[in-house]
Amino acid sequence: MSQTLDRKFHADWIIRLIGIAFFAYLFFGFMLVPCLNTLTSIFREKNAAGQTDPLAVIRFFLAGSMGKFVWNSLKLAILLVLTVNVVGISIVLLTEYFDIKGAKILRMGYMTTMIYSGVALVTGYMFLYANDGILTTALRQSFPNMNPNWFSGFNAVLFTMTFACTSNHMLFLRNAIRGIDYNTVEAARNMGANPFKVLWKVVLPTLIPTLFSLTVMTFITGLCAMSAPTLLGYDSINPEIVRLAGSSAADESFPQARAALLSIILAMFTIVLLTVLSSYERKGHYLSVSKTKAKLQKQKITNPVANVLAHIYAYILFIIYMTPVVMIIVFAFQTYSAIRLKKLDLSQWTLINFFGKEDYQYLTSRGKYKTRVGAISGVFSNESTLGGIKLSFILSALAAALACVIVVVACNYIFNKKHKKSGVVLEYALLFPWLLPTILICYSYRTFFNSNAVWYVGNQNLYYAESVRILIVMAYTVTKLPFSLRMIKASFYAIDEELEDAAKNLGAKPLRTFLRVKLPIILPSVLAVFALNFNALFTEYDMSATFASKYGTSYAMVIQNMCAEEGMYGYNVNASGRRCASTVFIMIVSGIILYLVYGVGSRDLGERLAIKDRRRKRMEKLRAAFGGGKESKSAA
Amino acid sequence: MIKLNDIVVKFGDFTALHDINVHVREGEFFTFLGPSGCGKTTTLRTITGFIEPVSGSVVVKDRDITHVRIEDRNIGIVFQSYALFPTMTVYDNIAFGLKIKKLKKDEIDRKVREIARKVDLSDEQLAKAVSQLSGGQQQRVAIARALVTGPAIICMDEPLSNLDAKLRVQLRNELKKMQKDFGITTIYVTHDQEEALTLSDRIAVFNKGYIEQIGTPNEIYNFSKTEFVCNFIGDINRLSDEIVQKMIDAGAELKLSDHNYIRLERLHVNEEPKLGQITVDGVVEMREYYGLYIKYYVKVGSQTVKVIEKNDGVRIYEEGQTVSVLIDPRDVMAYPAQETEVET
Repeated sequence: MSQTLDRKFHADWIIRLIGIAFFAYLFFGFMLVPCLNTLTSIFREKNAAGQTDPLAVIRFFLAGSMGKFVWNSLKLAILLVLTVNVVGISIVLLTEYFDIKGAKILRMGYMTTMIYSGVALVTGYMFLYANDGILTTALRQSFPNMNPNWFSGFNAVLFTMTFACTSNHMLFLRNAIRGIDYNTVEAARNMGANPFKVLWKVVLPTLIPTLFSLTVMTFITGLCAMSAPTLLGYDSINPEIVRLAGSSAADESFPQARAALLSIILAMFTIVLLTVLSSYERKGHYLSVSKTKAKLQKQKITNPVANVLAHIYAYILFIIYMTPVVMIIVFAFQTYSAIRLKKLDLSQWTLINFFGKEDYQYLTSRGKYKTRVGAISGVFSNESTLGGIKLSFILSALAAALACVIVVVACNYIFNKKHKKSGVVLEYALLFPWLLPTILICYSYRTFFNSNAVWYVGNQNLYYAESVRILIVMAYTVTKLPFSLRMIKASFYAIDEELEDAAKNLGAKPLRTFLRVKLPIILPSVLAVFALNFNALFTEYDMSATFASKYGTSYAMVIQNMCAEEGMYGYNVNASGRRCASTVFIMIVSGIILYLVYGVGSRDLGERLAIKDRRRKRMEKLRAAFGGGKESKSAA
Repeated sequence: MIKLNDIVVKFGDFTALHDINVHVREGEFFTFLGPSGCGKTTTLRTITGFIEPVSGSVVVKDRDITHVRIEDRNIGIVFQSYALFPTMTVYDNIAFGLKIKKLKKDEIDRKVREIARKVDLSDEQLAKAVSQLSGGQQQRVAIARALVTGPAIICMDEPLSNLDAKLRVQLRNELKKMQKDFGITTIYVTHDQEEALTLSDRIAVFNKGYIEQIGTPNEIYNFSKTEFVCNFIGDINRLSDEIVQKMIDAGAELKLSDHNYIRLERLHVNEEPKLGQITVDGVVEMREYYGLYIKYYVKVGSQTVKVIEKNDGVRIYEEGQTVSVLIDPRDVMAYPAQETEVET
């Protein structure tokens, strides 16, 4: 007996040691050490005299124009908080609180940002509003004097991001407003408050905690903005970091250290904001004390003028949300000539932007016709596009799965009562990347692992050639750990402790209890987190831009490249069409994933069995009708 | 059958159980009763093996199982929440323990269907998800799951507390019937004294980690060993010195220095005293009408005593009416005053 106990003890310890070693490797090797290296690199720079001068970069920062990038980012973040909250609150109230005609269609329009975001969305807006965009071209025909570059710089970034960043409002604020106990609204009305007073005094105060969180998240998004400023031309921190990271000391003064300094500044802002947020969250929320919640009923706007204005406002927003989507979908099926002319040609429907290849003949400057073989090609027949899709697909799926597995194992450990203290340490270690802007992690990886001197990765240069893909997977995984942990941890709370006891009592060992009892309970949430991670990573831009190289050209970079290369020297003639087609492809993929997660995945066993039962009954009915028909025929 | 010998359980510095000694007999329905935090569930979890005692021993059929693993104890448990696995069907829930024992498929099937029949679950219900069943049906699944592996003992941790009042009473009767049919030794945990009194062969009343009394429902109710037990079980009047003095004057062997209690149903309104009984005058202060009986609050001197009278439809007293209250000193339960004061 003691021998078996000894063996069990040893096995337990070995598993534990492996676990500790793995998480320590992950935390120190891929979070702390690379980022600390970035931090210290600021102080290791040499000045013009060749001496190490710890304050050289900081002096440069204070004297030069680097402050502009910080200020620009701050300006964007502050204004974005205002505009996103105004639009975000509006769309939630218009679809969930007020009785607006066509609310269902409006909601679908407002939710389109959930199926295409980042670089796909920005290029979508550019397709419409850029100097050669559809809308700008149309407007210039009516107003020849207008500035064709009206959609660029700060205003364009602010406009695009305002509508791109309302997805969180649609998710969280919508849930919060649907959670309001309608009896509280009725009580206020009963005591004589008018609808707007009710909104202001009863409804909005209960939404403040959610709004606060959304505000902080929006601020951070604004501060760390990447795709919109890069594509629309705005000098904010992140694009500058990427630019500096790719620059060399021959071109400008200590570019690497400046990039490091900027990313550390960004990290400091993020840390301060998240500390404020978490201390606010700890204070507790307004919890509804109601045990019998009444469902919120839509409020009619009784004032006819206000009602008309609200409807107009709702539909203007709808048009802003929907126009790029509709245009992208429509033009994805148009030929390159229609797209170039920015005119819808109903006789020119084609699938070439998706599948197939065509040659292109063009007139050279010498007056000769030249043919470029396969210059017109679809998303799935263009090698580089398909390569980007494949690469992003594999890397995103790997990283999304890896993050989920790591977090599930960690949560299983954290939720064991025996590991109280070490569980907390593990949890904080996994939340650590939350404090760091993505760009800092990427930049740190890019500089730290771009050497043969990192012993713990076998002295391999991970930024070199194909190894960069490992680096991308690690960066993807690490940045997704905090989100995965928050979501999956919440699902672990749903496991009743007594279930584990019951399984134990019935004779199940811990591994069996985990696989047969706990895992099936959390699996829908884990799959949801996997899908959301995958969706976000598939079109991810920040990391793609930092790691962009021959072997690391991800889908986002492919889309970005398609903006620049169109038609030059007869190459990539239908780049815009392919860009539209690939955005449509992203929308379809994201849409299917969201449907699987929220539609199919959220069903519990009871609902699944009920559906199965209904299906069986329908089949039986059909069979009976079919068989019955035959019988009656033969009888006749 | 089950013997708990000097069990001590500690959580850090806090001692949850102090020298618990219980002997449960074969086939008995034994209840651990007490307010929340008294140690009843801790004792149950010590028997099932979820908690290991600091000292003492758990002996089942003369075998010391104190340090035996949970899964090797052969003790079934029905949890407060039922702890039914939500991702499995009713059938799979019941079959879970049998699959772990690596029984053959057809044997598992036979056993599952057999137990399901005994607890009144149909084949159709076996194919359902547990969430598709009602509270009462879920409870039957939990019982079937606990019984199917053939345990020597079954433990139930407040299995009725999640149900509404009507279903609780209905299932209480079913539970008792099932226990009788299966003849299995049952340990039942509850804070509901009515449940304990109606179900149990014997009851152990817990308080702050100690056992105050072990006895049959009648012993516990009518011969409460401690002031805590008499207060915890049923409603009771603590008699004022004024009334006690009257009884002493009439020859009752009571002491003013004691805490003297009498049950509500042992007092009577406007009845003629027999030998040894006394009456005191009072005014009906309030009346609560329950249908089956009526509860009167009668102001006697400085004290309000509560009296229950069967509703015979004839003798109903109005608020403000002067009445006499009949007391038999032999019904008084007296406890020395040095015992800890108990809030009533």
